[in-house]
Amino acid sequence: MASLDSIGQGLPKLVHEAQQLDKMAVSRLISLFEDDRLGSAALRSQALGLLDSRPDQTSGTILGLTGTPGSGKSSLLSRITVDLLAAHSSLSIAVLAVDPSSQVSGGALLGDRTRMRYLPSENRLFFRSQASQTDLGGLGPSSFQVCRLLTRLFDCVMIETVGIGQSEADIRHLADRVYLVLQPLGGDEVQFLKAGIIEIPHAFILNKSDEPTALTSYHHLRSSLWLARPFESEDLPIFQTSALTGAGLSELEAEMLGQIQQPGGSGLTTREAYFFDRWVHQEWGRAGGRYLATQLGGSAAFVQQSGGYEAAQACFSSIFG
Amino acid sequence: MTQAEPHHNTDAHLISDEQGNAVRDRPWIIRTYSGHSSPKASNELYRSNLAKGQTGLSIAFDLPTQCGYDSDDPIARPEIGKVGVPINSLDDMHILFDEIPIEQMNTSMTINGTAMWLLALYVGLARERGVDIADLNGTTQNDLIKEYLARGTYIFPPEQSLRIIAEMYEFCLEEIPAWNASNICSYHLQEAAATPAQELAFALANAISLLDLLKERGQFDDEQFERSVGRISFFVNAGIRFVEEMCKMRAFGELWDEYTKDRFGVKNEKYRRFRYGVQVNSLGLTESQPENNAWRILIETLGVTLSRDARARAVQLPAWNEALSLPRPWDQQWSLRLQQILAYETDLLEYPDIFEGSVVVRSKVDDLKAQAREEIDRILGMGGVIAAIDSGYMKSALVRSMSERMSAINTGEQIVVGLNRWTEGIPSPLVGGEDGGIFKVDESSARDTIASLNATRAARDPERAAAAIAVLQEAARSGASMMEPSIECALARVTTGEWAGALREVFGEYRPATGVDGQKLSLDGERVDALRSRIDLLAQKLGHRPRIVVGKPGLDGHSNGAEVIAVSARHVGFDVIYSGIRLSPDEIVQSAVEEDADVIGASVLSGSHVELTQQMMDKLGEYGAGSRIAVVVGGIIPPDDFDVLFGLGVKRVFTPSDYELIDIMESITEVIEANQDTE
Ligand code: B12
Ligand SMILES: Nc1nc2c(ncn2[C@@H]2O[C@H](COP(=O)(O)OP(=O)(O)OP(=O)(O)O)[C@@H](O)[C@H]2O)c(=O)[nH]1
Ligand SMILES: [Mg+2]
Repeated sequence: MASLDSIGQGLPKLVHEAQQLDKMAVSRLISLFEDDRLGSAALRSQALGLLDSRPDQTSGTILGLTGTPGSGKSSLLSRITVDLLAAHSSLSIAVLAVDPSSQVSGGALLGDRTRMRYLPSENRLFFRSQASQTDLGGLGPSSFQVCRLLTRLFDCVMIETVGIGQSEADIRHLADRVYLVLQPLGGDEVQFLKAGIIEIPHAFILNKSDEPTALTSYHHLRSSLWLARPFESEDLPIFQTSALTGAGLSELEAEMLGQIQQPGGSGLTTREAYFFDRWVHQEWGRAGGRYLATQLGGSAAFVQQSGGYEAAQACFSSIFG
Repeated sequence: MTQAEPHHNTDAHLISDEQGNAVRDRPWIIRTYSGHSSPKASNELYRSNLAKGQTGLSIAFDLPTQCGYDSDDPIARPEIGKVGVPINSLDDMHILFDEIPIEQMNTSMTINGTAMWLLALYVGLARERGVDIADLNGTTQNDLIKEYLARGTYIFPPEQSLRIIAEMYEFCLEEIPAWNASNICSYHLQEAAATPAQELAFALANAISLLDLLKERGQFDDEQFERSVGRISFFVNAGIRFVEEMCKMRAFGELWDEYTKDRFGVKNEKYRRFRYGVQVNSLGLTESQPENNAWRILIETLGVTLSRDARARAVQLPAWNEALSLPRPWDQQWSLRLQQILAYETDLLEYPDIFEGSVVVRSKVDDLKAQAREEIDRILGMGGVIAAIDSGYMKSALVRSMSERMSAINTGEQIVVGLNRWTEGIPSPLVGGEDGGIFKVDESSARDTIASLNATRAARDPERAAAAIAVLQEAARSGASMMEPSIECALARVTTGEWAGALREVFGEYRPATGVDGQKLSLDGERVDALRSRIDLLAQKLGHRPRIVVGKPGLDGHSNGAEVIAVSARHVGFDVIYSGIRLSPDEIVQSAVEEDADVIGASVLSGSHVELTQQMMDKLGEYGAGSRIAVVVGGIIPPDDFDVLFGLGVKRVFTPSDYELIDIMESITEVIEANQDTE
């Protein structure tokens, strides 16, 4: 990894190449948006400025796939991305897959790539793994940052996270649409669906429909939804899929494409406040959070006053640190 | 003392025939696993081995043949003829078995993903030679479960693989009654560090699941089913803990008898007998002081020959230079002589079972059986081996065993003479020869192989070949047996890549779980802590945690090393991307580029390290990532090739002597530190 100075010098070229979806350039820019060194924030806002200066700059849609470990999120993404790209020659997709890290060593095993299919020299598909830096999974500290970049480069950003409890709230704030991926379960295990996890997603994917218990699980899920979300349960789609046989994928893909093609894309700026607050908590703990809320007028106001996310970070660091 | 003396039977030490004459047992089948370069070169080798007194053929195929690719496929090019013989079509079979009377041979083929194809070719050969296929005798290894777990030459998903195996049993039972359609292997599991209980349990659960399937398919009546149970044979390992291994073999026999009787109701005792062949352990054979391996091989052989009740039916041995390269003919001959001395010079074959009545042995056997049964129940409870493959359960268990084994060697708790104890010594004269004790494949043979493949394609009737493939695909889709259609493909000169490609289209390709998730080493202490702090510091400098892509380029299925490296790297604090075996160099480089990795660590044990490294370096250059992403390489790398790799830009090279994992991790950290300073 180069020094920040040398990144700064090459930034316009790097941004230009990334806009052509050159893999090395996209990759290096992502690293800049993951960079936790002092001084990297200034480069990020510079990069965002360069990106936004383009007149036709669009904003990609963020789709979140979350769900229980091993439910088939990566296998689904592998097929969906390949199918969508084959059907739509101008579409581009970035996948961001987040995996848990070891609390002991800090290292992570980023295993989602194993399921992806390799498309030689295809720049319209980009896959990046990320470590969550916690044991439980969920979004990493820089997932939001990286999405701010990727939505400026790709038509669609698909995020895979392991979902347990708290992390769903994060993904709901980040993604335009959240899919909860579940696999067929025994009767007892369905109980957990009634807890918090079921309240977040916009749609459900019941994967592994090739397995014998899939149908009963579908009925369990329907009835749990009816209990947990009585007013919307009729409208909540449940996609029954198999990443193994491909069954049910075309319906899901059509739905996702509909989301991607909706005008407007994701307005990530409106979500900056949430993630700024999250960042403050991560870096400065509860004391920082309290200070932001009581002394600085809350996250949304502070980000606006400071003149954007990066500036707010710099500003807060100098006040509180 | 008034107690009667126990009855003393002075004949108890004798084996007698039906007439009561003392006799000597016939020796086991003595085999040498071999094949290389080309059908012609391998044919010469087989004929000379047969002339030396070897009593069966054991064929090693090259990796493209095992993975279902033609020799001219881009992924095949670096591997043609390297670790076995390439077979592209029936024409190659005619050359491979030239002047070898197949009707008198016991032919064992180490072939799995393409087992049905190789059997079809063998049957095709017999038909064209006018040999009655009922006279054929031998084995297709054809155990795909252990391929997913340890050996890596799978092609299709587990369900389809098991269907193919079942169809071969159904074909062979009446058509080639002496053929072992498959061979349940625990050998490879021990090579991936399985404990004796895991070896017992995984192999038996595998066999049970296969019989469950044969029953469920309903192609056999009760009498046929019973015979098909009798056709199940095993291929096991024998490690250095030879007393335990001997007990393991007794446990195998007893458990198999119990399961076939209780679960499958097999009445005829003959069909419940545990029939097995052996290759002794190679995982424990060292690169350091390689001459010590000769003794290890001898001791391991004792474990599977000493006890008459649990003696192997066929034995093949590795050679002293196992960790250096493929064996040369002399190395193989030396190992062959070991077997001949044991079988013909010693008195081993004159006695009944010499452990009968041993309280110690009995207790040990019972203990192993109890552990195995518990694990078998667990796997069957999950729904059998297919489920336990799909969920990654069995694979994770093996990776854990391997991580523990390496940790124990690292701490010195497990002693390996010449590697982590008594490492000083006089240099071995065995590696002093001109070739350094290393076998080199004749590079020109690959050209001949491709030329003859082209000749086959040019000479065949294209319509017949196309029609044969269509019938094969139709059977694959409809659920009809693919055996006869495969034989017609063979006769029509369809090629290996075409046969497998046709079925890939129908079944898809499978990538099993890597098993590395959530694993760690049992290594702690100051050095680990210091390295973790050093990596934390490096992360601060880099702005991210150092990231390594561990890659297995090409068709090489040796995953142990890559898994251990992936686990070690995470253990000390790297972010690790490891996507399993059999990726193209392009795929690995693309991963590293997309992940903005600091280093690619490639593991190559197939002998193709130079070509594969060259391909990775070229690709890195295309991405403009040559100076950004450092490359290190590990595996079976002969000393002469170190400089070749350094010349290509590789930063470090590791071989089996580099067993200290923390040393390796420090060295990789150094590479990243240096790269960051220069950039
Ligand atoms: C175990 C083993 C197997 C197992 C593999 C199990 C598994 N899942 O890995 C099984 C039984 C399946 C197997 C099969 C075959 N094997 Co084998 N196998 C071995 C054996 C005995 C040990 C290798 C091993 O796992 N060692 C333990 C690990 C931890 O050590 P390692 O891989 O060397 O890694 C260490 C270092 O080298 C280094 N390292 C390695 N990679 C990397 C990568 C990085 C990034 C770093 C930093 C370090 C590093 O660090 C590690 C830690 O110390 C070797 C001989 C030997 N004693 O070395 C033959 C050997 C590698 N096999 C060989 C052959 C030919 C085969 C077959 C191809 C035979 C055939 N024709 O069918 C098959 C097919 C396999 C396939 N699909 O490719 C040959 C290769 C010949 C050559 N290169 O010229 C060898 C050398 C034996 C021989 N002399 O003939 N094998
Ligand atoms: N039978 C069946 N198996 C599937 C299906 N989808 C995925 N699998 C298997 O389920 C296992 C887990 O799949 P992944 O795609 O890695 O699941 P994941 O949700 O990404 O897993 P994590 O990232 O580890 O949480 C693998 O063994 C897949 O082969 C499916 O539709 N049917
Ligand atoms: Mg995943």
